[in-house]
Amino acid sequence: MVTRTEEEEVNRLENQVENGGGGVWEYLCLVHKLKLRRSDMVLKHGLSILNDSKKRSALGPEEWTLYEQVAVAAMDCQSIDVAKDCIKVLQRKFPGSKRVGRLEAMLLEARGLWSEAENAFSSLLEENPFDQVVHKRRVAMAKAQGNTSAAIDWLNKYLDLFMADHEAWRELAEIYVSLQMYKQAAFCYEELILSQPTVPLYHLAYADVLYTLGGLENLQTAKKYYASTIALTGGKSTRALFGICLCTSAIGQLTKGRNKEDKESPELQSLSAMALEKDYKQRAPGKLSVLSSTLRSLKI
Amino acid sequence: MAEDLVLDTAIRDWVLIPLSVVMVLIGVLRYFVSKLMKGSSQIPDPKIVKEGQVIIRARNLRAGANYIPAKSFRARKAYYSNEENGLLHVPKGQAANPQAQMFSDPNMAMDMMKKNLSMIIPQTLTFAWVNFFFSGFVAAKIPFPLTQRFRAMLQNGIDLSTVDVSYVSSRSWYFLNLFGLRGLFSLILGEENATDDTQRMMQMSGFGMDPSKTLGAEKDGLDIVQHEWVLPKFEQRAESVLRKLVK
Repeated sequence: MVTRTEEEEVNRLENQVENGGGGVWEYLCLVHKLKLRRSDMVLKHGLSILNDSKKRSALGPEEWTLYEQVAVAAMDCQSIDVAKDCIKVLQRKFPGSKRVGRLEAMLLEARGLWSEAENAFSSLLEENPFDQVVHKRRVAMAKAQGNTSAAIDWLNKYLDLFMADHEAWRELAEIYVSLQMYKQAAFCYEELILSQPTVPLYHLAYADVLYTLGGLENLQTAKKYYASTIALTGGKSTRALFGICLCTSAIGQLTKGRNKEDKESPELQSLSAMALEKDYKQRAPGKLSVLSSTLRSLKI
Repeated sequence: MAEDLVLDTAIRDWVLIPLSVVMVLIGVLRYFVSKLMKGSSQIPDPKIVKEGQVIIRARNLRAGANYIPAKSFRARKAYYSNEENGLLHVPKGQAANPQAQMFSDPNMAMDMMKKNLSMIIPQTLTFAWVNFFFSGFVAAKIPFPLTQRFRAMLQNGIDLSTVDVSYVSSRSWYFLNLFGLRGLFSLILGEENATDDTQRMMQMSGFGMDPSKTLGAEKDGLDIVQHEWVLPKFEQRAESVLRKLVK
């Protein structure tokens, strides 16, 4: 996760770099450290360092990591030629290196030569079956080809071994949601909540999935998770506020006629409706009428 | 008590300095030889990698149990710790002791032997060399007096009780070099050089850690976790948050 201070620092450095204020290397290091995806910037400024032999040699051994970083950024920007040049330099420096081999395979992937890339990745995995990056590249490749079921297969195989990798769980959850396999997605989101219990994003996504699944029990649980999202974000999540309203109305419809079950927090719905109205008044007064009519239609 | 022994400068030139230089050179050589013998970085056992990951995930479950619904928690608990094929369950017979594991895996034993060989052979050779050529030399004098207790340390190989303790015999000089050059090596060869024997000893003692034991401990920990869903509390908290917001 990137904290706010880190993000501010990156943005400040990016501004400075864009306006020619120096600090390019610090910016690139930070992007590398935080694993940000700002490929266009990395490509532009990384190349400016690499093309300047004086600046390049001043980096010492860091020069090679910069080559790697720029190569990956170039592939991301589809500047295949630049990537090829970078990889060629690295190849000359480290012949037979697996890390360079990975870059080569990624180059094949970037060029869309799927079967060649697949072969390259498989042979890399044969040498080292624990290369997490290669495993993930295979998933990405399956996704890029639109082959979601293969992506799920690869991800499941990967998670069977590296089951504590929450990023992979998140990816799997999103794929499942896109395929409308909500039960599986719910499992993945539970796993994410377990690994990072205080991230409201996962609570929200889990609640969404539960709400979509439907059924009284799921709706009640979903409402609780929307509530926890509100508690964790300090009431700033509009989606969670709407979620509370929708869940309450859906629960009301399901339990209509039967004696009402014990309600732990009867005020939650009216409070979130009020919070929504206040928020809309402040930020989008033009849409207030739409909101109030929507809320009225939800009222039981 | 004999007055000051005068040491020949030839001793300095042909014993003291060569001995130190040889020790340093052998240390460097050992570093490169062990680097060569280490070969390609061996691939860890998939079972061990997986066990580590299982433990992390089970620990997450234990820590965050109250954040997921009771049904999901029960399902996971069964998945980890059921008696038939739970991830954390270690069948009784299979709890292999590390000793047996070590012998069953020839690679591991081979590795240890290589390491030990690269440590022991040069040491025996240099010791024999020093013993043969320089035994009985008084090689140096330290510039301050010492008590009798230091005799065993500084005058190894000289069995004279009348020599002042501040004289250092050549064999003792060898030992001083053997143990005292680590700082110099880390300067020449970088911080994590292979000649660091103490670290290796630590590794060896930590070697016998049994992964199945940690699995069992984690299973016991999971068994006693009481699931108490915190989400209902969150509802009240959300209410109070919203109340503050609306006000």
